[in-house]
Amino acid sequence: MRIRTLVTKEFLDLARNRAALLPVVLVTVLSLVLPFGIVVVVPALTGRGLGDDSDLVMVSAVAGIHADLSDDGHVQLFLFQQFLMLFLLTPITGAMALAAHAIVGEKQARTLEPLLATPVTTYEILTAKVIGALAPTLAISLAGLVIYFGGILLFGAPGVIGAMASARTFVLVFLVAPAAALLSLQAAILISSRVNDARTAQQFGVLIILPLTGILVAQFTGTVWLSAGTLAVLGLGLLVLWILLTLLSVALFERESILTRWR
Amino acid sequence: MIRATGLTRRFGTRTAVNNVSFEVTRGEIVALLGPNGAGKTTTMRMLAGLIAPTSGAVTLDGVQLTRATGSALRSRIGFLTESPGLWDRLTVRENLTVYAGLYGLAHAERTIDRALEIFELSSRAGTRTAELSKGTRQKVALARTLLHDPVVLLLDEPTSGLDPEVTRTVRQLLDEKRAAGCAILMSTHNLDEAERLADRVAVLQERLLAIDRPEALRQRLTTGRLIVRIAGDASRYVDAARRAVPGIEVTMDGVALAVRLPSPEEQTPTLVAALVAAGARILEVRVEIPALEDVYLHLTQQEG
Repeated sequence: MRIRTLVTKEFLDLARNRAALLPVVLVTVLSLVLPFGIVVVVPALTGRGLGDDSDLVMVSAVAGIHADLSDDGHVQLFLFQQFLMLFLLTPITGAMALAAHAIVGEKQARTLEPLLATPVTTYEILTAKVIGALAPTLAISLAGLVIYFGGILLFGAPGVIGAMASARTFVLVFLVAPAAALLSLQAAILISSRVNDARTAQQFGVLIILPLTGILVAQFTGTVWLSAGTLAVLGLGLLVLWILLTLLSVALFERESILTRWR
Repeated sequence: MIRATGLTRRFGTRTAVNNVSFEVTRGEIVALLGPNGAGKTTTMRMLAGLIAPTSGAVTLDGVQLTRATGSALRSRIGFLTESPGLWDRLTVRENLTVYAGLYGLAHAERTIDRALEIFELSSRAGTRTAELSKGTRQKVALARTLLHDPVVLLLDEPTSGLDPEVTRTVRQLLDEKRAAGCAILMSTHNLDEAERLADRVAVLQERLLAIDRPEALRQRLTTGRLIVRIAGDASRYVDAARRAVPGIEVTMDGVALAVRLPSPEEQTPTLVAALVAAGARILEVRVEIPALEDVYLHLTQQEG
């Protein structure tokens, strides 16, 4: 009940401060513009199909060979699968932007002390903060994914959308992305409850994106291809890390230090 | 009702509050006075269960405030923090609604409507708190503090920033809460307010320097001087006063006579009779009692 009350407050606050969602909207737009720019616009402008590049056709084989797909279709499938990873960044960016302010923002606005004087528990505060940041960013990310798949359906080569509807995509969208967002959120909230200003929280939070960026770069260079199974293990690993981080956040949330040491 | 026993709080090597013990009983208002940095807010935070004492204990109706009992006991305490602490982007009603939810109030809407009415905030219910004046924000914070009808009220400068009219409303409300059996501890720099409102006054400067009824505190510093106001030039009656009670100290205090009597009960009638016999038209005779401000300054300066 108290969590619901606090989540409602978070949503109300966010609804009046939509600029806070700008980073996640920008990353979503970028995640849409880049793939369709490369897969659809560039070939249209140059007059050369993606399947005409033999190197690309060769590399795209890692995404699997589909009998019903042309060379163009294979390259498109490979690229759309690669760019799908960008949608991991969307909820993480949004979560970071919102969660970094979560506790330190309350403290700076001096709203934390009256809140802590109520019967609300640390666990309830932190859970509400996580849901309050996760739900809107996941919603935006999901809307981006709907547009992404709609775009593939409209502009992709025949059969590409069908090939995209795989276990890998499912695991990536419904397990890895939310798990990565949860983990980064929890980390941002933990940092937010230990530092003195939101900027510091954000700077520390950026470190969370680094490992993910590494995976993205490795994928694009073709050195790493994460299968559905590997992604599932990665997703579950992220969830376990999130649970551990949640317990750590509750343990490290020192009401006293927050009230007495922050100025 | 709420009792502090040997409360001590240290921050590193600095002691903010040192061995403070007192109790606020049901239906009582205690004013907590002290200079800035005297430990008032720290004491309030310890009583509200926001920070733990380094040593000592807080009990509410005999139940000790601990990490385990904190959540349950906090639901019985209303704590008005130093700063209103309102969510700026939320309206007045939304701010109160969140707190009603956190306290699990059954008839939240009705309770909020009543709180808005009491503090004359109904017309501002839909206004974002960022747009409110300092005084109105303080009123909203007070409404929030009283929303769950707490049995203990801890108020950190409740009338700070309020205009005289609203200040009076707040004082009346605190009077009503006292009558309803609430235990109220309020910190204030307004000594007049403390004197008017509080049943007892506590003077804190790291340790508790004094706690008593305001008049009892003033009596402690009484000078034993009798002030006699006489129509016309009072200095003409100095000799008559000295002759009336030999050996007494008579001086001029402005336009009045100031007489220090060893036994005021016995000697005052003699003195007054002698002055009247000497032709003095006496306007006023009163025992000089120091103001609470004098007592406060005396206690805190002595400590400093």
